[in-house]
Amino acid sequence: MRTVLRTVNRVLLGLVGLVLVLLGGSVLAVGLGASPPSWWIHDGEHDVLLSDAERTRWRDSGWWWPTVLAVLAVLVLLAAWWLTAVLRRRRLGEVLVDTGDGEGALLRGRALEGVLAGQAGELEGVAHAQAQLTGRSTAPEARVRLQLDPHVDPGTALHDFTEGALERARNSAGLAALPAEVRLNGVKHRAERVD
Amino acid sequence: MSEPQGSEGTTQRLPVIEKAAGTGGEYEAPPVPAAETDEARGSGRFWSARRVPAGIVALLLLVVAGAFLYDVAAVRAGRDALAWRRELADQLAERPLDDIWVLVGAGVAAVLGLWLILLAVTPGLRAVLPMRRPHTDVRAGLHRDAVAMVLRDRAMEVAGVQSARVRVRRVRADVRALSHFRELDDVRADLDATLAEAIRGLGVARPPALSVHVARPGRKG
Repeated sequence: MRTVLRTVNRVLLGLVGLVLVLLGGSVLAVGLGASPPSWWIHDGEHDVLLSDAERTRWRDSGWWWPTVLAVLAVLVLLAAWWLTAVLRRRRLGEVLVDTGDGEGALLRGRALEGVLAGQAGELEGVAHAQAQLTGRSTAPEARVRLQLDPHVDPGTALHDFTEGALERARNSAGLAALPAEVRLNGVKHRAERVD
Repeated sequence: MSEPQGSEGTTQRLPVIEKAAGTGGEYEAPPVPAAETDEARGSGRFWSARRVPAGIVALLLLVVAGAFLYDVAAVRAGRDALAWRRELADQLAERPLDDIWVLVGAGVAAVLGLWLILLAVTPGLRAVLPMRRPHTDVRAGLHRDAVAMVLRDRAMEVAGVQSARVRVRRVRADVRALSHFRELDDVRADLDATLAEAIRGLGVARPPALSVHVARPGRKG
């Protein structure tokens, strides 16, 4: 789900950027004296941005105002949807646990997150851990942040986490796979002399 | 890079392998040898979701389009246009393209647009170094600050090092140490060995190249 939002964000940002570059760049070029092709909206550096005649050209056609309103309404809806999608933190509410007897059980996502974060936090070398579940209830994914203590090999810490906390969480929820994205950071501390 | 791809199908079987390996070495197996065999795949570059710029652009778009929608609809319903829209139409119809404010506005718009395009196509998250995958299902990234702290701590353990400053970039780690006793060359050799091992222990997919400088602390008075 997060990858979808990432793609949407990037495509829309790119589109908005493209529109800005084309408009700004063309006005800048024509305004600084470049001669535009004959079909272009501006025909010279003394032309105005949008003359009254251009603005009101289609005003009397029957389709003009409905079209303007429809385009604006679509833009508003798109922007509103985009904003809510960006602001919403997508968390997994429940995880479907296969109990092996053909039935299923629902596990609260928060519970699994808590277990994962708790077990990760108890690992040696991990000062603090946060876990968040995303994905679908049948195929959850974990996003984990680990804060490492000083004097810990990050490689070893990651290895311990994968073999320990993550593996146990996967087993306890009866999942075939629990893909995880782990970010490791260190706890800020001062350098100390070792004597 | 020679990354063996196409292991997606083996995802299901892997936990079994993991368990078999887990029973063998129960005492903190160093991750390096395992990672150098079949799990040497990196985590791939981390791509930012670009939440903040997306939120700002979405909000601006919503406000601008909403204001126009409201006013156009109000005018259609028989009210007068609001002052800002009349003023905007007048300004658009009056100012020629070589007006200084039009040029400034166009320049700002173009630069902003370029920046948005740059945001859209670059991965971002430059501070996160991808790590080797400990497991095919696990992607991991290590923050550069953490790398710097690990290297600094390890450098401080070397005999003769009084203080160390570490700067980590994506491809290179600069270590500047001040040494108050021992021969500088000996300290440098020790630092090289210790830090090379520390970098191997990071588990980073593309270890940063190491550059070590050792100097005497500046004399006081």
